[in-house]
Amino acid sequence: MSTSPGSTARWRVGVDSGGTFTDICLFDEATGRIEVWKVPSTPDDPSRGIAEGVEQGMKRVAAEGGAIVYFGHGTTVATNALIQHRGVKTGLVTTDGFRDLLEIGRQKRPDLYDIQADKALVLVPRDLRLEVPERVLYSAEIATPLDERAVRAAARTLKAADVKAVAVSFLYGFLRPDHEMRAVAILREELPDAFISAGHAIAPEFREYERLSTVVLNAYLGPVMARYIKRLAPRLESLGMTAPPHLTQSNGGVIGFAGAADMPVRTILSGPATGVVGAQAIGRLAGFEDLITFDMGGTSTDVALLQGGQCRLASEATVHGYPIKAPMLDIHTVGAGGGSIAYIDEGGLLKVGPRSAGADPGPVCYDKGNQEPVTTDANVVLQTLNPRHLLGGRMKIRQDLARQAVGRLAKRLGLGLEETAQGILSVVTANMARAIRVISVQRGHDPRDYTLMAFGGAGPLHAARLARELDIKRVLVPANPGILCAMGLLLTDLRADFAGTRLLPATDDSVGEVSAGFAALAERAGQWFAHEAIAASDRRLARTTDMRYEGQNYELAVPVPEGPITSQTMRTLTVRFADAHRQRYGFAPEADPVQVVTLRVEATGIVAKAELKSHPDAGPDASGAIAERRPVWLAETRGLVDTPIYARDRLRPGNRFAGPAIVEQMDATTLVPPGMTARVDRWLNLILEAT
Amino acid sequence: MKLSAVDPITVEVIGAAMSSIVEETGETLIRASHSTNIKERRDCSTALFNAAGETLCQAEHIPIHLGSFLDLIPHIMRRYPTQDIRPGDAFIGNDAYEGGGTHLPDIVIAEPIFIDGKLAAWTVNLAHHADFVDRGHAHIYQEGLRIPPVRLYRSGELQKDVLDLVLLNMQVPKERLSDLRAQMAANRVGVQRFQALAAKYGTDTVLSAGGALMDYAERKMRNAIAAMPDGTWRFEDVFDNEEVAGTLALAVELTVRGDAMSLKFDAPEQMRAGINMTMTALLATTYYVVKSVLDPSIPPNAGLARPLQVEAPLGSILNCVSPAAVNGRLQTCQRVADMILGALAQPVPERVMACSNSACTVAYFIGKKPKDGSTWVYLETIGGGSGARSAKDGLDGVHVHTTNTSNLPVEALEIEYPLTLLRYELVEDSGGVGQYRGGMGLRRVYQATHDCRVRVDLTRQRSQSWGLFGGGAGANGKVEAGPGVTFDGDQAVLKAGQWFALVTPGAGGFGPPAQRDPAAAARDLAEGAISAATARGVYGVGD
Repeated sequence: MSTSPGSTARWRVGVDSGGTFTDICLFDEATGRIEVWKVPSTPDDPSRGIAEGVEQGMKRVAAEGGAIVYFGHGTTVATNALIQHRGVKTGLVTTDGFRDLLEIGRQKRPDLYDIQADKALVLVPRDLRLEVPERVLYSAEIATPLDERAVRAAARTLKAADVKAVAVSFLYGFLRPDHEMRAVAILREELPDAFISAGHAIAPEFREYERLSTVVLNAYLGPVMARYIKRLAPRLESLGMTAPPHLTQSNGGVIGFAGAADMPVRTILSGPATGVVGAQAIGRLAGFEDLITFDMGGTSTDVALLQGGQCRLASEATVHGYPIKAPMLDIHTVGAGGGSIAYIDEGGLLKVGPRSAGADPGPVCYDKGNQEPVTTDANVVLQTLNPRHLLGGRMKIRQDLARQAVGRLAKRLGLGLEETAQGILSVVTANMARAIRVISVQRGHDPRDYTLMAFGGAGPLHAARLARELDIKRVLVPANPGILCAMGLLLTDLRADFAGTRLLPATDDSVGEVSAGFAALAERAGQWFAHEAIAASDRRLARTTDMRYEGQNYELAVPVPEGPITSQTMRTLTVRFADAHRQRYGFAPEADPVQVVTLRVEATGIVAKAELKSHPDAGPDASGAIAERRPVWLAETRGLVDTPIYARDRLRPGNRFAGPAIVEQMDATTLVPPGMTARVDRWLNLILEAT
Repeated sequence: MKLSAVDPITVEVIGAAMSSIVEETGETLIRASHSTNIKERRDCSTALFNAAGETLCQAEHIPIHLGSFLDLIPHIMRRYPTQDIRPGDAFIGNDAYEGGGTHLPDIVIAEPIFIDGKLAAWTVNLAHHADFVDRGHAHIYQEGLRIPPVRLYRSGELQKDVLDLVLLNMQVPKERLSDLRAQMAANRVGVQRFQALAAKYGTDTVLSAGGALMDYAERKMRNAIAAMPDGTWRFEDVFDNEEVAGTLALAVELTVRGDAMSLKFDAPEQMRAGINMTMTALLATTYYVVKSVLDPSIPPNAGLARPLQVEAPLGSILNCVSPAAVNGRLQTCQRVADMILGALAQPVPERVMACSNSACTVAYFIGKKPKDGSTWVYLETIGGGSGARSAKDGLDGVHVHTTNTSNLPVEALEIEYPLTLLRYELVEDSGGVGQYRGGMGLRRVYQATHDCRVRVDLTRQRSQSWGLFGGGAGANGKVEAGPGVTFDGDQAVLKAGQWFALVTPGAGGFGPPAQRDPAAAARDLAEGAISAATARGVYGVGD
């Protein structure tokens, strides 16, 4: 790590690049100073917006790129490419007889009852799925050697079809990767410019379809991510930054740029996972550990549930219809946000999204050519959003254009202008409530037991109405809601997960192999620590094994005791596993043989974290923070109400005020509707409660 | 108990909580089980019932399993006075005539849920045990052990004599024992979660909400029926499989009057074959189809059945009486499901689909494990084409209608059984032609690595899945035997190294093929979904 000469500042930089805005959070390890900055995203090349934002942010704190000691980044590049099917033309090379597996999947239909439902688009069409003679058996024996000429012929077919990426996945490739490795080598010779991904490297676990789906997705997204990183890295270097940049993975941990370029599939939830990590840190500080996070951005909205401060981690999930084998936080995403376009459907009903105007052209009020009203335009019409400018005055807007656009819908609906704008917001609220039910009620949690943490550029504006819809009593709006994701990158330790599948009996006979397995994982973790320049005293390793009774196909995670692996360790593991099984399932057939399936090491590098300052109580009087008053159209009164507009940066801990009120700050606007009271806690969080 | 009115938000929250409970019990069953049919293929279901035996909520697993659940609690209540039922009792049953089941391998375990000393509800689950194979199907006595509802646990205590009796009649007792334990574990979760729900909201509120949800389902169903035109529509099809000579004529007459619907089925007398359906199987099939077409979002509880009246001649293959054999009833259920769609195509063509593969193609294997000589049994079902829709092609290679089991991953199959999968693929030209193409069937090729016996259960070999409004029929189902393999009816002996293939039927098309978008036909040709001959001859595409 290096800092610029003559300076003692050590800046940690978090950047969250969303569909609409790019958020930058800067934290000086030396002084504890925090600065936030926000610039419009540049969807044609997101790296441009990031570099510009970082440059501007660093200028604000009068620092050079060389003073950056850590750069963490959450990105939606992979997710957006998947949602919009903008990955590259991809080919598949697979075992003879099994090319249709990608399409058949697990042979279940997409919806049990809805006969109009369709499967997710198959990312490799049938004519680009090529079979080659080869076959490995479950015993890892080779039944049919790889036909290398067939691989070469397949490579040439794919080259002629001008594919940009190739996935290679053979039966049992996770067990004996020889054929996949050879096929990859041949493909590299024939298609030197293509991105090539193999099952054994991306998801070395059993169940061929889920592995195939993961590797195909990785190939499909690979060139998109590579292009992104290739543009971003030099831009950061040209700012003088020498610290290695990181990307957030779907599990909330971080990965280096090279790793991300190889495994884009592990970053599919990068952006939203970053937000969950940020919410977790803020919630812990503020004393709210049972949270539902509501991260509403311009293009999409992510919700997650934290019980006791923890978000469920899944080792496999289906994302936008595609099974992915990778550790992921349990986050639910809907394609609706501040930029979602409102329209009238063929049945005459008002609908909002999933089409979005994004950042460019953006809402009608941006005056960049869009004519169709979006959620933001509705708020501008009602004046819940500032009708003259956004981003703390940095961006002028045209309310008249927003009124015209919403007015066109109002005319077709036969409703008033404000009623139509409010209707748009009601539809959005109902969509959001449905998303939150998925992660709460459908998982057995009652949303009424949770606090809604609202962030993202549009979250605080819609949170109170959403809370009311779900009967949630409390809403927490963090100090910097618009950049919480970026800040989350600076509030968390570095984390990486390492795993290896073994399948061994949990007996004395396996002591050697388990020991060697953990040693290998610890070595990989050690390399990662070294790469991240984590001091020996700041390194933490947690070991677990996934175990099951022979004959089962699902495992339970059992923590491994400290110290060397011995016969005693194996006995302890067996006992712990039986206890876990009994607790989970109510029985434990203790005479049955137990297997160790996967060894896991979670490596944590303790780093200096941004510490949010606690502020002294300044009393309940918030009147000093009222910057102005303006008429705001409220659903509760169905008319314009003269409403105080509070400046968020002038609100002090202990301040209290009742709705209706609007709180404006550079990165977000909060609506406090009638019937709710707002108070400021000592970390400057705004807490809204029903009165 | 007099139930009070509950506000709509609470009803919705409790309804979703009950869905979560049945989903969680289902996950517990799958994760703790040992047999591939449950742990990977997920051939199981879970549900909650009220004390009267009405379905409160069924998990979205396998629609036909509702048939086994429908009559179970009433059967238990008939045999055992309520005051004799205690917390910790668990009833096991499988019989089609005395236990509420639809075929013997579906073993149900039901456990009463007591709250404040009163029987408040039941948690019930069903697992299809991969056993009961290599049997006769002239009547139910040949098909395996019949279990009326009897206690497997009494006040929390295992009734070992009952368990021993059951296990002695099983071909793979160790696996059965593990799966039965998993079923018990699932019910334990169901009991705990339901009690927690009652503790949170009050038993009265939870049960009232259950009633309100049934009323809601009924209301939605009635609204959807009322939106259809009144009238009577008839549809006919035939049934064929290896167990019956020729074809059997089946028919349905569907009448809509106001907000009620009646379905009258006609079918031949029950037969000495495994194709017979109990009335509960017919009801489960009917409820499934009507809900799918009219409103897939209707909650799956007893309320949706109230506006529906279903009749079939007693003693016919669609409403059989003891001792008819029932093991292969799913083939018949699938045909009935498509027939109902055919009738509904007349009043609401835009909401139905053409005939799907109309089958649940099954392969049963039995043999001795090479390493220790113990018996192994494996069964799997294979998807096929799904019917074309009014504005979309049908789905290729999926499970349709009353079943929805996963395939077993090749890598899981081969490690457990002495079989090797040689191919698993979509079949060219198997989807019926049309403006919208019917879904393609599947071809699955098995090779024995050690000697074993196989039995296949398939249909649509002598009939085809029909298209609608000018759409063509799907291709037949068939068995392909490799060198040296001879099928005697539906059975064969496989020697090590020999292979056979099951080819499942394609589905019917929708609309005349002349109206198919030429670009879609060209894409079908490029992808090998249709042959060059079909492309040229039917669609005029290609050279």
